[in-house]
Amino acid sequence: MALQEHHPRPAQDMRKPQFEQTTDFRSGNEMAAKAAAQINYHLMGYFPITPSTEIAEYLDEMKANGEHDMVMIPADGEHGSAGICYGAAAAGGRVFNATSAQGFLYMIEQLPVQSGTRFPMILNLVTRAVSGPLDIRGDHSDLYYAFNIGWPILLAKDPQAVYDLNLIALRVAEHADVRLPVIVASDGFFTSHQKRRVQFFSDSKAVAHFVGETPVAPIDALDLEHVVTIGPYMNDPDLINTRYLQSQAMYRAQDVFQSVAREYQAQSGRNYDLLSAYRMDDAEIVVVLLNSAADTAKDAADHLRDKGIKAGVLSPVMIRPFPKDAIVSALRSAKVVLVGERADSYGGHGANMSHEIKAALQEAHASVKVITRIYGLGGRDFYPDDAEAFFELCLDAFAGKDVPTFDYYGHTAGKPDLASQERTTALSKEQTSGFVQVAQDPGTRQLSVKVPTLRALTAKANRIAPGHGACPGCGIFPGVNTFLKGIEGNVIVLYQTGCAMVTTTGYPVSSHRVTYIHNLFQNGAATLSGVVEMFVERKRRGEIHYDDDVTFLMVTGDGGMDIGMGSAIGTALRGHKMIILEYDNEGYMNTGSQMSYSTPLGHQTSTSGVGKREQGKSFHHKDTPQIMAATNIPYVFTGTEAHAQDLIKKAAKAQWYATHEGLAYGKILIACPLNWKAADEAGHEIVGAAVDSCFFPLYEVEHGITTITYNPEEKGKRVPVSDWLKTMGKAKHLLRPDNHELLKEFEDEVQRRWLRLTEKHANPHL
Amino acid sequence: MPSDIHSHTNNAGFFEIRMESIGGLGANLAGKMLAEAGVLKLGFNGSNFSSYGSEKKGSPVKTFVRFAAAETEIRSSSPIEEPHVVAVFHESLLRTQNCIVGLESHGVLIVNTAKSPDDIRVLTGLKSGVVLCVDALQIALEEKSRVNTAMLGALCRIIDFLDPEAVKTVISETLGRKYPTLAAANLRTFDRGFREGSISLYPAETNGDVYEPFVHPIPDLGYDSQALGGAIINPGNSITRDLSASRQGFLPAFSQEACIHCAACDEVCPDMCFVWNAKQDSRGRTFQYLQGIDYQYCKGCLRCIQACPTDALTTIRETDTYATDHRVRHQ
Repeated sequence: MALQEHHPRPAQDMRKPQFEQTTDFRSGNEMAAKAAAQINYHLMGYFPITPSTEIAEYLDEMKANGEHDMVMIPADGEHGSAGICYGAAAAGGRVFNATSAQGFLYMIEQLPVQSGTRFPMILNLVTRAVSGPLDIRGDHSDLYYAFNIGWPILLAKDPQAVYDLNLIALRVAEHADVRLPVIVASDGFFTSHQKRRVQFFSDSKAVAHFVGETPVAPIDALDLEHVVTIGPYMNDPDLINTRYLQSQAMYRAQDVFQSVAREYQAQSGRNYDLLSAYRMDDAEIVVVLLNSAADTAKDAADHLRDKGIKAGVLSPVMIRPFPKDAIVSALRSAKVVLVGERADSYGGHGANMSHEIKAALQEAHASVKVITRIYGLGGRDFYPDDAEAFFELCLDAFAGKDVPTFDYYGHTAGKPDLASQERTTALSKEQTSGFVQVAQDPGTRQLSVKVPTLRALTAKANRIAPGHGACPGCGIFPGVNTFLKGIEGNVIVLYQTGCAMVTTTGYPVSSHRVTYIHNLFQNGAATLSGVVEMFVERKRRGEIHYDDDVTFLMVTGDGGMDIGMGSAIGTALRGHKMIILEYDNEGYMNTGSQMSYSTPLGHQTSTSGVGKREQGKSFHHKDTPQIMAATNIPYVFTGTEAHAQDLIKKAAKAQWYATHEGLAYGKILIACPLNWKAADEAGHEIVGAAVDSCFFPLYEVEHGITTITYNPEEKGKRVPVSDWLKTMGKAKHLLRPDNHELLKEFEDEVQRRWLRLTEKHANPHL
Repeated sequence: MPSDIHSHTNNAGFFEIRMESIGGLGANLAGKMLAEAGVLKLGFNGSNFSSYGSEKKGSPVKTFVRFAAAETEIRSSSPIEEPHVVAVFHESLLRTQNCIVGLESHGVLIVNTAKSPDDIRVLTGLKSGVVLCVDALQIALEEKSRVNTAMLGALCRIIDFLDPEAVKTVISETLGRKYPTLAAANLRTFDRGFREGSISLYPAETNGDVYEPFVHPIPDLGYDSQALGGAIINPGNSITRDLSASRQGFLPAFSQEACIHCAACDEVCPDMCFVWNAKQDSRGRTFQYLQGIDYQYCKGCLRCIQACPTDALTTIRETDTYATDHRVRHQ
């Protein structure tokens, strides 16, 4: 059952394939996108997350150029993307998704629903370390969560396998004996971002020939002639029967995979089986690894073979269902097996692969020593000499030396002289207080704010230290620092995932001079709610004694206000005393400029491309301040660095409300020169033009009463929207004559929102 | 002439190239185009990838290209440890990091610089090998193109199994689809990178030595010294970082005399480079005065130039010692 590779450097299978193929040089993500485009899935629901994001980007680019006509739905988060995919699969079409790490964990609640109700689809899991702390590089800690969700799982070790297994996976998923969603997992960065020589079918017709028409689904929500109840309320004694059928289908997926793979070999010339077994025929010492690392270990096996040592490498291609019999057969000569696991099952004395292999061998009464090494966590590279070290451990065990059966590999103690670091002293009260005054008129309840000059405010300590890693000309820091000039005294900040977080806290350095917490951007507002309420409660119990108040500030990008909208609204409705500050750069810039819901109509991002069939984003920008105002929190504002005094004043008010009443929310527009395709030095002027064009009006909503704080019309400064758009490469195409209607649509929406705002300004009851 | 590659490869069968650059200079694209030329036009096997982290434009990045004979299987996906060629796209990196680690004794170091090979050898401490200096920045400025294609020209000059015409074809295909004029400028840039530049050979004492062997990176903090849960207990320590290599040839110069201390520069600076001091004026009132710029953090975005209402801040071409000579340190 194992695919034997006998030759140290085997040439490609030269049996003549049935269909013409193109040789190219592509990465794993490119090949996943190529396969999806050639299959021409009905629909992809997705949410960007490194390192799988490129798959949707490539598909968007291909779509803009008319290379496929899949419906691409940018979800509000991975949970949403999984929901979109589930609905679409239940509605009978072919469905595709891609994700990684937290994105996978965020959607995992939906995944057993999909397999349990038996709707096929394909998910590319581009494996990456699970947080926290947040790590974007590749390990298998997300993949290991996938073992119990009821999806067959195929492992693609290189870009070629990513393509091939994506085609095979769909046939397995849709097979009448299976009817399950399937995961194709490849290594984040090692495979997803590494270009290799690859082949694919030159004509999509060859792919269509292989995958065939979408089979008629036994249960189809859109079969209007046969109404059906999908997902009933099912307790005992029934659910166990549904699960029994699911379990059988999962085991059948193994045979189906093998038969589909044989068919694929005939068509492509490339051969896949349950295992990739390298020099395993008589192997006595064996290293078992998943995906790309297994290839690295083959050279080490060759070196040992040259010395007469019977070494082999075993790597599963199908991991769910677990290929038990194939593993036992492949290990028939083995004396010592080292299972390298790029994930841990904490406290389990070895992770899942070790135990499943041990269980298989025990059933076969095989006398084999199995060693576990947890390696490569967080994307730590696996070099050829690491593979040699694994074989050395096997040889030691083979020679009867005492080798621990479970340990980590590649962890380091650190330099001893750094063991006791000096802790940072907090900023003093004098450094951050006494600059800005806020007073409430006892009669009118109006706040009056006194803000000194920017010059005087240079004496106020920045809460962010120099030395962060943001791009030259990044607008986040002028925006956030200007805001913080208006905040007096102690601050505790929570940053949601995003550029500001990643560039200021790259271990082991941090730019934050005040206490900072990160949480993933589905949940920052809820997390800070917890911090706020614990502060109040510990103070009430007399456990902490601070005379001064603390201001709790959440900083998020516009992406965090997409995926984290529910958490932010919940926090607003509960009315916790804190501030949410959203820096809006009109896209998911940290992951490489994908569209956000705040991206304006027609603007170009890596998932709203400009081409023959697409002219940037297809729907209008989200009006987050109005959404937050509708929760009836005491204070909502907008601001930019281009109107510094205005922003500082609003910060001071936000602090007052967050201290005395409840949640304050503000959105600041900040420049991203890289992804706006503008000069590094141009950001200040661009956000100023956004204000003067009335795209981004400066206003506040205080106890429900709207006040425009800077009216460009009254100042005689209003400019056409096009004056702002022409400053950014991402929007210049909107000024072309052929995009006249699109521009008009955008201008009309800007004007509509502006007029509505002026009405609100004029009437306190609106 | 694909067969030529055999005489160039290491024990594992590879010819290996490491590019040292900062985000935004196009090293990633250069690596892609070079590898595509080798694999798709010349029939070698190959792989290409870059180092990825959370860092952004202006931050150090490494791009790797492996070439092998057509029949050689590529297995390792780990970074290149002991390259045959190192190409440094950005001279400032020679000051802020070790670019020649793992370079073998007969290896080639290509640097985008106006300096001479002798100067570069002193600057890097290279013991032996070949140093090729090409002023890619100047070529790119003159041709209105980018340094990456000039560096590709220099790489093709050094690597004799790479047919320059193949690389030029890939440049045309990559850039020509969308930007035909850009493609023409970059082809001229490639030719000049191939032709221009000065080269020196420094003979090795022994064959095959690697002068600074590659070692797996080991972090300073480890399981004996990390705070619980990976917390950073000395935050604010980013002040130790030197970001000057992010600059691409220009920086702001400060003239105290013309300054009205309005702090417009301070407000727009993303990197908190402006250093202020409280002083009393002639009437005994305390005011903030701008002292200067801490160039260690300046990435050369030049936002401050735009913001300055006087002539106190001006853009200048950065010379070797300007920033260190004029740096005003944060207290």
